Order: sequence, then C-alpha cells, then structure tokens
Amino acid sequence: MFRRRGSRMLKIMASIFGRTNSPYKFIRSVTSLRCRCHRSLVYKQGYRTLACAERQAITAGIKVMAEGELPAVLILDIGGTHGVLEDLAALLKKHFQLITMKEFLANKEEMSKKIQSVFVFERRPTIDRELLESLPNLKVIGNSGVGVDHLDLKMISSFGVKVTNTPHAVADPTADIGMALMLASARRLVEGCQIAVSPDTKSFAVDWLGVEVSRATLGIIGMGSIGYKVAQRARAFNMRILYHNRNQRQKEEEEAVGAHYCAKMKDLLQQSDFVMLVVNLTPETHKLIGKKELELMKPTATLINISRGAVIDQDALVEALQNKVIRAAALDVTYPEPLPRDHPLLNLNNVIITPHIGTATVQAIRTMAEEAIANILAVLNGQPIPSEVFPK
Amino acid sequence: MWYHRPAINEELLQSLPNLKVVASSGVGIDHLDLKLISSYGVKVSYTPFAVSTDTADMGMALLLASARRLVEGHEMAVSPDTEYFPADWLGVEVSGATLGILGMGTIGYKVAERAKAFEMKILYHNRNQRKKEEESAVGAVYCKKIDDLLQQSDFVLLAVTLTPQTHKLIGKRELELMKPTATLINISRGLVVDQDALVEALQNKVIKAAALDVTYPEPLPRDHPLLKLKNVIITPHIGSATKKTRWVMMAEMAESIEAGLAGLPVPREVL
Repeated sequence: MFRRRGSRMLKIMASIFGRTNSPYKFIRSVTSLRCRCHRSLVYKQGYRTLACAERQAITAGIKVMAEGELPAVLILDIGGTHGVLEDLAALLKKHFQLITMKEFLANKEEMSKKIQSVFVFERRPTIDRELLESLPNLKVIGNSGVGVDHLDLKMISSFGVKVTNTPHAVADPTADIGMALMLASARRLVEGCQIAVSPDTKSFAVDWLGVEVSRATLGIIGMGSIGYKVAQRARAFNMRILYHNRNQRQKEEEEAVGAHYCAKMKDLLQQSDFVMLVVNLTPETHKLIGKKELELMKPTATLINISRGAVIDQDALVEALQNKVIRAAALDVTYPEPLPRDHPLLNLNNVIITPHIGTATVQAIRTMAEEAIANILAVLNGQPIPSEVFPK
Repeated sequence: MWYHRPAINEELLQSLPNLKVVASSGVGIDHLDLKLISSYGVKVSYTPFAVSTDTADMGMALLLASARRLVEGHEMAVSPDTEYFPADWLGVEVSGATLGILGMGTIGYKVAERAKAFEMKILYHNRNQRKKEEESAVGAVYCKKIDDLLQQSDFVLLAVTLTPQTHKLIGKRELELMKPTATLINISRGLVVDQDALVEALQNKVIKAAALDVTYPEPLPRDHPLLKLKNVIITPHIGSATKKTRWVMMAEMAESIEAGLAGLPVPREVL
C-alpha cells in the first residue's frame, strides 16, 4: 500500500523525469483509500512502474503512467448504430486505452489530457473546433477509410494535430464493389431478381435484355490505387479502358492494363459505355459530373459512382435519368447518406443504390483498423508515418 | 426454337415430313431428345460460343452480388423504413478468396480468366484435366476429386452441361462438404442441383448463400421456399440476355438453317 508515501515518491520522480509525450515514460499514480491492489515496485530502466487492474481516483496535477499502460484513443462508442464494432474494439484495446465520447464528456477534466489520438470510424466522432480545443494533448486523428472530406484538414493542422487515412486497406474491396455495380447494372440484376421472386411472375419474358460488359468501353475518372485496380479487373473482361486523371500514369502502368489516357474528360465521356467515378472529393471534383457532362455521355451509357455523392450534381442526374439522357446509374455513394425517403433517385427503376458498402466486408473492416492503428502508433512513437494526409 | 419452344416431340416430327433442321438457341441441349430427332433424319444446331462470354459475365455478376449482399443492400438503400445505414452490416471479400469451378468448358474457363483479375485462387473440376498452358494462364489448379474442391472453396460455381451424369451433381452430401461460409453459384441448369437439399442447407446455414440464374422449373412455383430466403439471389435465366449476344445467336441460327435447307454441312451441328 503506497498511499501518501507512495505519492510523495512519485511526485519526486515526476519532477526528475518530467512529462514527455512518450506514453511509456509516464507512470500513473493511484492514490485511494480504497485501493486494494497488490503492487510491487519494480525498478525498470530507472522508472518506477505500477501495475493495477483497478482504476481509482487519480491525484490531480501529476500524470504518471505505469509501464505497459497504453496510450488513450477517443472513439465515438462501442457497438450500437454508429459505434466501433465489437471485434474492432477488442483489436484497439490491444494497443490503446479506449475512451468513448460518453466517458469523455462525463469526465472531461480527467480525460481531456489523456487523449492523444482519435479513431474516426464511419466519419464519427465529428472533429470540430470545440473538440480540438478540449484535447490539449491530441497528436493524431486516425481515420478508418481513405476519404477525408469530412475532416477540416486546415483547422486540424492549425492545432498541430496530424491526420492519417487507410488507402491500402480500402483499394481491393472498393474496386470489387465498382465491378459489382457495373455488372449488376448492365445485366439488370436487381430488377431480374425482383421478377424472379415476385408473386405476380408467371413466366420469364424472352425479350428482357441487358447490355454487355465484356468488350464494352469503360471510362475511369480518377486513376489512383482504386481506379487502377478497377482497370486490372475490367481488363479481364476484355473491356476497352479509357481514363482521366490529374496526371497521366507511367507508360508501363498504362500498358499493363491496356488503358488509354484522355487528357480531356470530354473525350472519355463521349466514348464510354460505362463511366466510373473513382476520385477524391475536393473543391475541384465537387459536382464534377453535371448536366453538361451527362449530356456528353452516350444515351446507352451507365454512370457508376464509388467516390463521394457530392462528385455528382444529383439533381442533374435525376433529370438525365428521367429523360433517358443516359441509360442507368449505379451508386454506392449519395449526398446525403441515406437519401431522404422521398428522393426521386429511390424510385427510378434504372438506378441501383447501395448503402456505402465499398469497404463493408469482414476482412476489410479489420484491415482498415489495423492500418489506422499502425498510423496512430507511428505518430505517437515519433516514427515515419505510413499514410499522413496534408491540407492543400 | 427459342427458349425451349416449341417442344420437339414425336407428334411434331411426324407431322413435318420435310423438316430438315432444328436450330436451337443457346448452348444447352438438355431439352432436346437427340436420338429421337436423329431417327427422323433431322439435323440439330445450337449456338455454343455466342453465349459463353455473357454467361461468364453473369457468373461473376452473381458471385459479386452475393458476396457483397448487393440486392439486400439496394433494398435497404431505397426502403421507406431506412433511417440510417448500420455500421455492422457486412459482406465478404471476393478479392483473394478461393473459387472452385465445376465444369471447365468454354464458359468455365472464361469465368476463371475474370476471377484471376480479382486475385482469386482458382480450383477446378472437369471430366478431363485442361492443358498445362491453359491452367497456368489462369492459375487454375485441377481437383481430380470434387470433394477436394468443395472443401476448399469460398465460392463454388457450376458451369457444367446438364447430362444424366451431372443431374443432381450437388446434393446433400456435396453441400455438407462445402464450407459453412461458402456460396453456391449456378449458371448451368437447375437440375444440376438437388433443390430440396439446397433449401435445407440454406435454412440450416450449412452453406452461407446461393446465387442462381437457373432453377427447375423456371420460373419456380410462387410458394417455393427459395423465393423467401434472404441469402438467395435468383435471376430469371438471363445468362445470355444482352442485345448484342441475342443478335449474334439469331444470326447463327439463321445461318445454320440456311445451310441445312441447302443440303450443305450445318455449322454448329450437334452430333
């Protein structure tokens, strides 16, 4: 039992070693009359360590941490409608002390100084100025997913906080969903399934047709990691691949997938049977596809969106679909998500909408968390950061 | 004939003394009594290659749609009751998974070509092993025993012809050999699967899901249990249902008929 004697010694230690940012140099003192932990003072590398399974009241002012105590990460919640999944929480707990928003708000004074990182899952918790001001020791926001359009990068940077994302984990499953949507739309899979199971169906009509995917022309707008993986998959369907990107890819990369660069997006739009959007959402790509672009597309063409809803002018899209300016659309993303229940896009039978499931696989959710954890730890340990995102 | 109609039976053959050729659409010929027709000196043609690419595409479409729960997802996205998209709603990964192809003919091989681009591990079972170069080109590994394929695959795709040997190829035993996390995809014929065994397997979670472009009969009776299972996608036999392909099929059938009438060798004759 250490009580006052223990806390005096720890105060001395704290003043000698001072507070640093490294989580493993802090020793946390636990002083409470009710503490019944059996503790042994272990001298390790010159630091006194304490191990205690019970969380008790912490003396104000001195922040010390036992060796092996983990850095704290803020999350919205565990489970529930928008919280981190239980499996992911277990994974996070191996590396971090988890603090939910609820716990943080209930105990702001104590918690605010502990939190060095935030794990943003499905765009939550929202990172606003108020939150940043209340977390003086925040070092990094680790986002699960590659899109960071929901984060105000400039503002976050002004607080000296870094932002990281997970570009590697998202690429395969998102490219897969792009292909899934293209095939489902072309072959009218959702409509077909509805006919196959409808109580009113008596026979299958022979003149019920979709359009070919193999040997058709696919125009990829945004040839980053995800766009390139889409091209790799589409090539196996003998598709003719056109692409538009801020920068042209290297010749070997183009040849490997048989992709032709269109410096002008107009050329891509006019020649493609399928147009797939795989860009980030930035001020430059906001409403990239509007009335003009839709009118440049073939009337037999399909628009597929696996980027962000705001890349398309949604009202213009509704009009184009209703007036058969284009044939169909398949959208994993909309603005907002979900759409209001009376939105016209929900009633068009040439539209497939999926609920933003580009990375919604058991494996991808885990890989994204692992990538986010690696990024957060790199920042906290002062190591090279695998995927830092910088404001423009 | 188109979509198995009109039915070619003894009565019809007897009433058409000058019949020279029956041109059938598609690659399946299980609906034709070839012995009977031949006994009347009538030739039969089909369109085996026209359908292969679109059918392979359909196989991939069903595989992806089932894995990623596309139909369910769409229903959620448009449902009047949806207020938010839950975070714990997940499908399974296609990239890097194992695909077992039963029947590596033209269609099966085209499926393998497509699956390779998704970095899928490809196993196949066939009456005969394919040539080494063909296997290497798609990275396909031959499974002499169907059991080996069934036990290792995350996705099992049926691309065989319907013959007496493949009738109910997939029954209770085969379904139990499959992984409980596996999906069955059928782009061959409904009768290749023991449908009652399939219903039971899906209800008891012996396998995870099924995606069927073909059933027996088509359409299924409206009270059939397959229509109600959430983990089943059924499409109305649309493997070759694209404008271009249907046009090609028609052109090929016309060509076969013309040759037959002119007494010339019939292209795409079924022997």
